[in-house]
Amino acid sequence: MPRRTRRTRRARRGMTIALLVVASITIITLDYRGQAHGVISWAKRGAHDAFSPVQHAVDDVVRPVGSFLSGAVHAGDLENQNAKLRRQLGALQRQALSRQALQNAVRSLDRLDALPWTGGIPTVVAQVTALSPSDFTATVELDKGSRQGVAVGMPVVGGAGLVGQVIEVWSSGCTVRLVTDVRSSVGVRFGPGDDLALVQGSGLGRDLAVNLVAPGVPLHTGEVLTTSGLQHAQFPPDIPVARVRSVSSTPSATQETVTAQPLADLDVLTYVDVLQWQSGS
Amino acid sequence: MTSADVARSTLVVAVVLVVQHTLLDSVRAGGAHPDMMLLLPVMAGYAAGPDRGAVFGFVTGLVADLFLPTPFGLSALIGCLLGFVTGLATRGLVRSSWWLPPVVAVAATAAGMGAYAILGAVLGDPAMLRAYLAPALAVGAPSAALLAIPVLRMVAWAVPPPGPAHGHGAQMGGALR
Repeated sequence: MPRRTRRTRRARRGMTIALLVVASITIITLDYRGQAHGVISWAKRGAHDAFSPVQHAVDDVVRPVGSFLSGAVHAGDLENQNAKLRRQLGALQRQALSRQALQNAVRSLDRLDALPWTGGIPTVVAQVTALSPSDFTATVELDKGSRQGVAVGMPVVGGAGLVGQVIEVWSSGCTVRLVTDVRSSVGVRFGPGDDLALVQGSGLGRDLAVNLVAPGVPLHTGEVLTTSGLQHAQFPPDIPVARVRSVSSTPSATQETVTAQPLADLDVLTYVDVLQWQSGS
Repeated sequence: MTSADVARSTLVVAVVLVVQHTLLDSVRAGGAHPDMMLLLPVMAGYAAGPDRGAVFGFVTGLVADLFLPTPFGLSALIGCLLGFVTGLATRGLVRSSWWLPPVVAVAATAAGMGAYAILGAVLGDPAMLRAYLAPALAVGAPSAALLAIPVLRMVAWAVPPPGPAHGHGAQMGGALR
């Protein structure tokens, strides 16, 4: 091959990759600075809306095949029944656990003459359609979207407690960031003194980290942490979030080392409730 | 590329997207799952050389980004770099060995996931490096070895090499047929 042709080809190749890298960095920058947020959100919504029917259709075919292969002839029906029962059980557990929050609230009433109120928030029942499409986030996708009144920022509960928060919405579905995601942080209160702390995710399948617990604050294993509902909080008050699994401290530490287990069983989520509540509402 | 190539590429990307979201996203260990979308640019670079690998990687990355909650454009950047580097690194190799595509897939997937996490951390999301990279590598790399041959077959059908001078497709096809 003549040397000149080879040089031309190499130059063209360099130009191609350079252009693609510059284009990618430009897109990332525009997204990062929020300048193309509208266009990107519109494109994402459109892609999800176009893809959802295909995904559901293929899901309908693939799921029964998977159930049949696993040897359960009626597995599909049993799975649905099981999921509904689990949801009912979760609601009952939530009621029982919220009693503890209510006791704290009654104590607060004496002091503050105000009762935290979460009742009456309308909910949208949604089914989990997919787990996180990325290995670098802990999210799930639901089958209810803006058409059903779901919006970004709404809390999602399921099982016995808080599941997460809606971060993306399209017309027929939404993406929920789970409480176990490392980017998730939830303000919580606990104990008779309504002490405050911050629950942060550590990754899917791992315990939550409970931060900002000062040394000496009475916090015990098994205690239930509920959303704080402070002004401008991301969640309404008194939703059970997690149960304390371990508490330890070192003499020089500025805070206790506390881990907690999410009350919602995030490994077997099927049905959840989206609370139609937004910060500041 | 001809319009037939574009149509075939579109079909392959659509099929892989459906398989990824309906089947592979549910196959989980430690919170991570196999990533077939990341394999597309790797195998495009392997089959069709650095130029087409880069372009195919950029486009598949953009499509993947539409469905991911991570920074938009990150998959496109990683995709074009993976396609380009894989094409460059493997163009001198003799492709008669059946084990070469799986080895290339594992190495490139590991490199791609590492770069993805590092860039994510640079963009203000250190959790991608700190919490998610290890499980992603533990699941993504071995599954890339298993998925390499079927993905290579699809990509080689969709993205032919630019000319006989590159010889990727002919050699690769010979190894697979």
